[in-house]
Parts: sequence; C-alpha cells; structure tokens
Amino acid sequence: MVNATLAPETTERAAHDDPAVGIRGRDRHRRRQVAVAYLFLAPTLLFFAVFLVLPLGFALLLSMSRWSGFALGDIDPVGLDNFTGLFADGSTFLAPILTNTLLFALGTVALALAGSVLVATCIDKLRFQGLWRTLYFLPIVTTVVAVGNVWKYMYEPGGLVNGVLNALGLGSVAFLADPDTALPSVVVVQAWASVGSAILVLTAGLKSVPESYYEAAALDGAGPVTVFFRITLPLLRPSLLFVCVTQFLTGLQSFALISVMTKGGPGDATNVAALEMYRQAFSYGDWGTASAAAFVLFMVVLVVTLAQLWFFRRKGEDA
Amino acid sequence: MIRRRFPWFSYLLVATGAVLTVVPFLDMVMTSFKGPGEAGTLPYRFLPEAFDLANYRAAIHQLDLPVLFRNSVIATAVITGSVLLTSSLAGYALAKLRFPGRDFIFRLVLSTMMFPPFLFFIPHFLILVHWPLAGGNDLFGRGGAGLTVSIVALAMPFLVNGFGIFLMRQFMVAIPDEVLEAARIDGAGEFAVWWRIVVPQTKPVLVTLGLLTFVDAWNEYIWALLVSTADPDVMTLPVGIQLLQDYVDPTRTMPIVMAGLVLSILPVLILFLLLQKHYIRGVMLSGLK
Repeated sequence: MVNATLAPETTERAAHDDPAVGIRGRDRHRRRQVAVAYLFLAPTLLFFAVFLVLPLGFALLLSMSRWSGFALGDIDPVGLDNFTGLFADGSTFLAPILTNTLLFALGTVALALAGSVLVATCIDKLRFQGLWRTLYFLPIVTTVVAVGNVWKYMYEPGGLVNGVLNALGLGSVAFLADPDTALPSVVVVQAWASVGSAILVLTAGLKSVPESYYEAAALDGAGPVTVFFRITLPLLRPSLLFVCVTQFLTGLQSFALISVMTKGGPGDATNVAALEMYRQAFSYGDWGTASAAAFVLFMVVLVVTLAQLWFFRRKGEDA
Repeated sequence: MIRRRFPWFSYLLVATGAVLTVVPFLDMVMTSFKGPGEAGTLPYRFLPEAFDLANYRAAIHQLDLPVLFRNSVIATAVITGSVLLTSSLAGYALAKLRFPGRDFIFRLVLSTMMFPPFLFFIPHFLILVHWPLAGGNDLFGRGGAGLTVSIVALAMPFLVNGFGIFLMRQFMVAIPDEVLEAARIDGAGEFAVWWRIVVPQTKPVLVTLGLLTFVDAWNEYIWALLVSTADPDVMTLPVGIQLLQDYVDPTRTMPIVMAGLVLSILPVLILFLLLQKHYIRGVMLSGLK
C-alpha cells in the first residue's frame, strides 16, 4: 500500500525531469489518458445511469403515484398517500408484515450466531479444518430453490423431520402449515443456510487471537469454559459484530426463501416486507404501494447500516 | 494445555453440525430415487427401495431440462463475462489513470453497494418493459413487451457490479506504476498496458470475482422468475423446477423435482469443490454472503 501511494508522485517527477518528454508531449499524454479512462468507464457509467440512477428516480416517482402499470402517461401523482396507506388502520404492513421481517432477521441472526460461534471455536481445535468448513459451506453455493424445496419437503408430515420426531416417540408437527410454527420454521432454514459464511468470518477472527493468550490462561489453570468466555469471546468481538450486522441486513431484505417455502402463508404468518412489495407489484399491480413499501424497508435498512457505522466508529475510538 | 488433550467435545459438536448440514442434501438425493408412493408417505424412510434413474429421465423430459440448462448457461456466461470485463476496465481506470472526476466516480461505485437489490426489482422490470425499439415497442417504449421477452433480460440488471469494480481497483492499486510506465515508454497504448500487464497480474482476483459472480448468477431466482413470467421461453433452471413444484401434485412429483434440483446444483457444486480456495477468499473479501 505504501508503495502504491508513493508511486504516482515518483512517476510524475520522472516525467518532469525527463528532458525527452516535453510539455506538449506530456499534455498530449494527459489528454489521451483522460480519453482512455472515460472510454474504459463508459460501459459502467452507462449501466449505472440506466440501471441505478433512472430506477431510483422512477421508484421514488412511483412511490408517490397511483399507477395501473400500463401507459407511462397514466401515472397519477398522489403525494404521500401510498405511505400513509401502508401505516393506516387495518393495514397489514406494520403488523404482521414489518414485525415478521424484524423477527425473521433477529431469529436468523441469533441462531446463526450461536451456531457459528460454537462450531467456529471448536473447528479451530481440530484437524482437517478445510474439510469441515467445506461441508458447512455447501448450503451457501446452493440455489434457494433447492434449499427451500428440500426443507419444505423435510417439514412435511411424511418428511424427514417428522420421521425423526416419530421415531423418538413424539407426535408430528405441522411446521409450515401452522401459523404459530411457520415463521420459526423458515428462520431455522435461513440460519442453516447462512451459518457457513459466519463460521468463515469467525474462524478468520480466531486465527488472529495470539496463541500466548491461551498459554497464559492454561498456566493460570483456566478451564475451557473460562477461556471461552474470558478470552475467545471478548477478542472475537469485532468479527461477531460484523457477522451480526451483515446477517441482520441480509435477513431484513431476503424473501426468496420464504417465497419458495410458504409464499408468505399461512395467511400472513411468514409474510415479510420485501415479499409484500413483490406481491403488491407483480400480483396485485399496485405499483405505487409496492414502491412505497420498498422505500420504507430501505429506510429500515439504512438506519441499521448507519447505526452499524456509528457503533463501529465508537468501538474504533475506544480501542 | 487445552489443545494437547484430544478435543472430543469439539469433534462431537462439529461432526453433529456437519451431519445437520449435509443431511438435507442426502435427503434430496435419496428422494430423487424414490418411486411412486415412496415419497411423502408414512412412516418416513430415508433410503429408497431401489436406486433407479427413472426420476432423472422424467425430470429431463418433463422439465425440458436441456432448454432450462441452456438458458441458465447463457445468462450465467453473459453476466460473468460482462462483470469481469467491466470490473477490470473500470478498476484499471480508477486505480491507474489520472483524469478529472475520478474520485467522484469511485465514490459513486462505492455508493452503489449501499442500495439493496429489492429496491430495483420493480423499476428494472418496468424499464425493460418500456425499452425503446425492442419487442414491439416504439421509440418512446410504448406498445410492446420490450426486452422482457428476450433472453438478454435475464442478464441485463447484473451486467455491471459495483463490488467487482471496487475489488479490481483495490488489487490494481498495488501494481507498481513503474511497470506500467515502462510499457508506455516502450510505446504500448493504454489498452495494451491493461491487457498485457494488468490483466495477467490480476488473474487470481479475476478467478475469485468470476467464481462469486458465476455462483450468484446461476442461483439467481427472483429476477429470473419475473422475466420468465413474461416469457416462459427464457426460463432458467431454478425457475423451471420451482414452477413444476408449484403446479403439479407435490407428493407425486417431489422425487422428480428433487432429481431436477440435484442436476441443477451439480455444476455449481463441482465448480465450488474444485476452486473453493478462490471462492472462500472471495467471500472473505466481500465480507458477506
């Protein structure tokens, strides 16, 4: 990095000192570099104009309009009606949909964090760490359609989970069909699918804990539990925070798994904000409400992101 | 001291977790071999009565698997190729060329990573529907279905990736300027410098980025579902399999669905197992997944 930041200066000086490169030659070189740079960036800039700036403006416009989705001339501005509609009495957006979204994200983080902390600290003591990590990583490279359908099938009365429960002498559970168990059931799947990447981040964090800390603790006669709570966990805090925040953000936004497994049902038991946005637009053709829902969720995501930045910065100052 | 003893507790815990991770995959494979009346019936049995390939033949036939496969391959190849090319070009410009507006564009690229994907589903779809002079549209994007009835629609919103540009730029900054300057003095143009020096030097990062992009594109579901609703001919593997699952009697077709799923995840699984070091490095670099 030091090399890289120093390098531009040295080349500039070289160009100044070099009598062979005259002022005009340098100017021409400069101008050509500007042209080449914009040529290289042209596809990117064009793409961001069409697929980033334009969509954001369009979505903002739609969120404040009523529109049936056909002719662009029919977009009817209604101010903040779509937003107030989302939070009006009788609207399902705040509860259960937004509540479900938060519960889904929180539940996933809690489960994935607990699982990954346990597994990561244990993997760190084993041989063949790469092999174990690979196994835990399999769900991450698997399409959500496969993950969702396999688990949906496993949750069925004749599926594997109930098969195990029955073998243990317990009664069957209607995991996805019962409104009370549906949300926890999909949370388990999301956590199952994301625990691998959390393990990856945490094992990297564990590698940075100096061996001497463990040796010192061992000399003082600390048991494994004490070591875990007094040394491992506190030193792992930055990685833990990172996992927490990124998984929470992912949890707030994700709806593909739910769309595959329950389509938000039964009723609205597993409906989340992003899925509701999708359905308002593409099932009911209410583009205005859908866009408003998208921006509300974006605000939630933004607040969480900013809180995260603030938290990390404060922690950084402490250190 | 803790480490010298045999860590039986750790082995037990890690192995249990690994079993929990792998069992759904095994159940998927086992179910894919089950015959009629064997799947979803009580009592549950893990193993099929016979390892018969009938479901795989049915999946290929009923799902039109070759077409789904072709669409997935085209979309994934186009996305991966485009992301690698645009990320490398833009990354080079941002890392090694000097021009007005560079800091602004770099900040723009960083800011693109802040916007969650769900924000764009609706406007992207509408933009493609109203794409001028495509799919029966006039110059103002009216009258037809636009680009949504074309296979390019699958790839379009993913052709450029802010994270990819950022990643390439970070690695290119570390290439010493002297090397590039020497090539320029030898008469190489910027394009030659990029292609002959920068691209070969950043090959490992390109592999990582390519792999991450490939896996994401292959597994992409929501956008592909939207586009396929407009035009069933551009259906990809995940969408096709999901639709079969949705519309046909689940207890009877589940084994066929599972067979299709096994076939659809195989390419990514093999690629991941072969190149997992690069993939895992990519996940670490991107920080989340």
